[in-house]
Amino acid sequence: MINLRRYTLIRNVILLWMSVVLCAAFLLGIPKINILEHTARNLYFHVPMWFTMMAAVFVSAYHSFQVLRSGDIVRDIRALQAARIGAFFGVLGLLTGIVWSKFTWYVGTDVWWNFDPRQSMVSLQLLIYGAYFVLRGALDDPSKRARIAAVYNLFAATTTPFLLYVIPRQMDSLHPGAEGNPAFSEITHPIMRLVFYPAIIGFIGMFWILYTQRVRMALIKHRVTHDPEL
Amino acid sequence: MTWIRGSWAILQKDLRLEMRSRYAVNMLLMFVLSSLLLIAFAVGQESVGERMQSALLWIVILFSASIGLGRSFVAEEERGTVLLLQLNVPGSQVFTGKLIFNFLLLLAVDLVALVVFALLLNMVIEDWLLLLFSLVLGSVGLAGATTLLAAIIARASNKGPLLPVLLFPLLVPLLLSVVRASRAALDGGLGLSRALPDLQIIGLFSGVVITAAVVLFEYVWYD
Repeated sequence: MINLRRYTLIRNVILLWMSVVLCAAFLLGIPKINILEHTARNLYFHVPMWFTMMAAVFVSAYHSFQVLRSGDIVRDIRALQAARIGAFFGVLGLLTGIVWSKFTWYVGTDVWWNFDPRQSMVSLQLLIYGAYFVLRGALDDPSKRARIAAVYNLFAATTTPFLLYVIPRQMDSLHPGAEGNPAFSEITHPIMRLVFYPAIIGFIGMFWILYTQRVRMALIKHRVTHDPEL
Repeated sequence: MTWIRGSWAILQKDLRLEMRSRYAVNMLLMFVLSSLLLIAFAVGQESVGERMQSALLWIVILFSASIGLGRSFVAEEERGTVLLLQLNVPGSQVFTGKLIFNFLLLLAVDLVALVVFALLLNMVIEDWLLLLFSLVLGSVGLAGATTLLAAIIARASNKGPLLPVLLFPLLVPLLLSVVRASRAALDGGLGLSRALPDLQIIGLFSGVVITAAVVLFEYVWYD
């Protein structure tokens, strides 16, 4: 069993940490950057959302792997909840990215969607998770659903790394570090990194809170519906 | 040797069944022909560039694969022969036999699609070898992914149009590379050296997909 007091303590620390990060993100001064101006503050939200999604994708794939190894239904619940929260953060990151590019590089044009490699990759990851959820809906028996959904999740995880190589060869990037763009360290002032790195930890902590809460809820639901003694 | 014999037996069984009914082949060919005609009518007299030609060609192949190859394991469930196969042949041999069968079907699709497409859209093929190579290599990866997903949807209770939904997001890396490689074959100025990285990616993708599919198939095939 989990230690509830320790859990509450860690959760409160993360919430406090996140509140401080949010205040610092809006209140601390930032250096003036061409085109971006104050939208550069989006760095504190947009980028950590990506990292959180990546972490969620790894957690989900790891638990899918464990489903195949042990056949444990709890692992399936974990994989599903990580995928759901990963998709949630992916949508958030996608939206913040679209809005950000629209009102900086594409201001005055009608361009909303651009074929940026990272944008394309995350939209594909969202499609894969959409297919994963649809597949789960088509399977009735819980243990069969756990196994087959895990197979699909892992199969998707073996094909997506190719995108990292294929897509950048086909499209130009808006992101720093890509070909012709300045590296991340060149355009960020030390004071921005002072908020940026804690924001990553805060967002991953938020993922952890959401994830553990949802897993506990799903476990209780599973027990209520499947335990014959209840 | 027994491994090859088992796969060969599965392949032979599927080929013989196909010879009797010709269901999959006929359906695939009709689908390819009708979608190509639709494209030709929709495009009309306008000349289509190389990029569009290879993109349309591959989209037709991809859709035909997702519609025609989904039956390979569903048919076993419907005939009630799953248990028989599970008892007699190890899973990896079933998978290999089905994979080769699907690959042969895809080659037929490629051939018909290419010939009809070239006639309808006045395709000028500069580099035959490269085009054939990219079609065959692309079909290997396509067959690998489709065979595993066909086994997955055979276990689902609602089999309908699930395969395209599952298949398309996974095939984007393959699609992007094969479209580029076929475009290089249609566009004479580019040549083999430009398409080599794409061919490497297609080969690598096919290898990884088939390896992962063979490993994962055991979990789908057995209860």
